[in-house]
Amino acid sequence: MTGIAGLIVLTLAAGWATTYVWRFAGVYLAERTAPDSEVLMWVRAVATALVAALVARLIVAPPGLLATTALEARVGAMALGVAAFYVFGRQTGAGVVAAVVSLFGISWVLGGP
Amino acid sequence: MAASFIGFGALVRGLEIGLLPGLLSTLFVWALPGQVVLVNMYAEGAAFLAVAAAVTLTAVRLLPMVILVISTVRLEGAPRWPLYLLAHFIAVTIWRIAEDGLEELDRPKRVPWLLGVGITLMASMLVMASTGYYLAQSLPPLLAACLIFLTPSFFFISLFASARFAMDYLAIGAGAVIGPAAYHFYPDFDLLVGGLVGGTLAYLVTRRRRRGS
Repeated sequence: MTGIAGLIVLTLAAGWATTYVWRFAGVYLAERTAPDSEVLMWVRAVATALVAALVARLIVAPPGLLATTALEARVGAMALGVAAFYVFGRQTGAGVVAAVVSLFGISWVLGGP
Repeated sequence: MAASFIGFGALVRGLEIGLLPGLLSTLFVWALPGQVVLVNMYAEGAAFLAVAAAVTLTAVRLLPMVILVISTVRLEGAPRWPLYLLAHFIAVTIWRIAEDGLEELDRPKRVPWLLGVGITLMASMLVMASTGYYLAQSLPPLLAACLIFLTPSFFFISLFASARFAMDYLAIGAGAVIGPAAYHFYPDFDLLVGGLVGGTLAYLVTRRRRRGS
């Protein structure tokens, strides 16, 4: 399937249904369980690692214009972002701003795009 | 949150698939990691099952959030369908808002109030994603690249912000190392391999230590 119909089917089947199933389960479970089991710990670990893998892919194989920056700049900027997050008392916003500003700064110094 | 959706719009622009997949994924997935996986794999033309499996794995983390939000808003004996509607809007932001803003609200008002917040947020983020998409087109290349970088930065820092156990930090490291390694061998399944192998490793290593101590 191609075109807009295919895109809509993909979004609904591989995007909406696959996501909503966990939200549905959440409502269902909210009425009966305490959410601190070993299974949930494992699920938490897998979900965390998956998002980390997603970030790593976006850094190693970046989309669009992000690919014009150097790999070292992306890795370095991300590390500085995490450092800033802790330096500024675990502020997510500070970390994100630091990461993006660092990418700009490092790329500019390296004479990037 | 607005910044991360601007970044998402810029990222969609970078994938060269048009704005529509970005807007559709915002409406129907409404959880940024899943959306990024979806549009990325769509751009690569990945197999349907691989897309479905990767998106569903990113969405598992919504389960505990939904349980927490629903247990603070539900009413004994009230109809259930509004809860199942509200569930579609629950992601990190609504969860944070529910934790901070619900205490002083009467219990019967909580579901309609959160639904209003959810719909407003979704409408705003459709605008933000579109803004990012068009900004990325008209900005100098380096600034556009920085805009795209907003989204992975937000994800990565958020992982540290929500990490509570040694296991979480180990899972971040394992996923970040195993994912790219797997990308060389199974480009369709790198996220699944990184998540399952990295996460299971982190879980098992720290469980042994939890039991040993």
